[in-house]
Amino acid sequence: MINFDEEIEKFQPSPEIEQAEDVINNNDLTDITDILKELLKGDKEKQQ
Amino acid sequence: MICPNCGSNMSDKRMRCERCGTDLTLYKKIINASNEYYNNGLARAKVRDLSGAICSLHSCLELNKKHTNARNLLGLIYYEMGETVAALSEWVISKHFKPEDNDADEYINKVQSNLTKLDNLNQAIKRYNNALTFAKQGSGDLAIIQLKKVIVLNPHFIRAYHLLTLLYMKDGENEKARRNLTRALKIDVSNTTTLRYLRELEAPADATDSLANQETLKSSGSASPIMPISSYKEDKPNIMVFVNLVIGIIIGLALFAVLIMPSITKKQKANENANYVNQNASLAVQQEKDAKINDLQTENDNLKDQVAKLQGQIDGFVIPEDKTNAYDVLFEAAQKYDVEQAKSESERDFTGIADILATIDEKQYGSDAAVALLTQLRTEIYPVVSEGYYQSGRSNYNRAKYEDAQAYFEKAVKFDQENVDAIYYLGRSYDHLDNKDQATVYYNIVITDFPDSSRVSNAKRYLEQLQ
Repeated sequence: MINFDEEIEKFQPSPEIEQAEDVINNNDLTDITDILKELLKGDKEKQQ
Repeated sequence: MICPNCGSNMSDKRMRCERCGTDLTLYKKIINASNEYYNNGLARAKVRDLSGAICSLHSCLELNKKHTNARNLLGLIYYEMGETVAALSEWVISKHFKPEDNDADEYINKVQSNLTKLDNLNQAIKRYNNALTFAKQGSGDLAIIQLKKVIVLNPHFIRAYHLLTLLYMKDGENEKARRNLTRALKIDVSNTTTLRYLRELEAPADATDSLANQETLKSSGSASPIMPISSYKEDKPNIMVFVNLVIGIIIGLALFAVLIMPSITKKQKANENANYVNQNASLAVQQEKDAKINDLQTENDNLKDQVAKLQGQIDGFVIPEDKTNAYDVLFEAAQKYDVEQAKSESERDFTGIADILATIDEKQYGSDAAVALLTQLRTEIYPVVSEGYYQSGRSNYNRAKYEDAQAYFEKAVKFDQENVDAIYYLGRSYDHLDNKDQATVYYNIVITDFPDSSRVSNAKRYLEQLQ
């Protein structure tokens, strides 16, 4: 059963084209490779 | 393959980096997994399972953010779903990781080159945001209007379809909601929101309350947050609308008849009266003109009669012949008189002039000066001429040439009726010619008209002898 008020809250405003730069800059580009690198880096420091 | 630690190129078959010695087993597994997610996302995209493709591609990019193909495909999927900004951001990031030989260049250029379409997409986003604001504020009608325009500007904007569907469902317009969801399904076949709304619309009516009744239940104090949506029902035709319409028409006609018709009728009558007055005035003017025409015609006839009469008088007027010559005769007589006057007294002969003057009728002269001249000439010439004829007559009388003497004496008397001697001797001449009647006449003239004359006694004596 759909509740209108709850459903309407799920809708978020869409960014406009002028705001595309902000969207790109705020994009989190961290992937598992980066996490893995951090982990490996931490291990090395510990070993040293 | 590129080593994630030192960035050196190496063979794909190697399990350890030749330069830095980093163990790449795990890294290779991550790369393989990202590729599998990419393949899965591609397969889903090909069957239009866009939502599923997005999940797979996100997973791919979480494992390998530099997977250019996955990022480009994700941008394409976002663009197909109407998420223009998300698509552009993915392509830009893709270009960042792979500046050369990247399909993202082509996608970005295609979007930016068509400025009209780009502007439409931007307008669609703005109107969607406005519609969302209206919907959250409770102005569903305004939101629906905006969303209809959004769909026209960007027919692939799935979120707009979802919001519009939700608003239709709230208003109970389930058929319209279903049509929207059908269009949304054609774009993305596995969109969970679309499928959820469709299932809601297909739910049986008697088992659930309608989404449209949620607010009434809320206002009545109902605690249940979840309300069912009733099935679509056709509204029964409302007869009262037609009845009200008919009543309104009747009332309107009645008001028209009561308020407006009298003024129209009054105005028409006023116009008719004005026309009648104007016609009467024009008729009076016409009659006046006719009377004037008649008067002028009568006057014209009278004038014509006068002209005819005057013309008759003129025609009947006899212009004396040689009227102009009459003056010439007078002038000639005067001129001759002057010539004779210039001569010596013994050489003067006025007899010709006297004969001319005797033929002139002073009545033909309109000029007083001419008459005066004529009179003057006669006064001066006639006595002289009469005396001359008397002397001639005495000369012939003394030689017993009584007939000649009588002629001379006649002329002498003609030019001077006061010449008593000429009259006496004319009587004597008639007496010698045995014309006793004429002799008697002239004897009586001497006796009567010249009683103081010396010839009276002889005239009486000869008259006694004749009697």
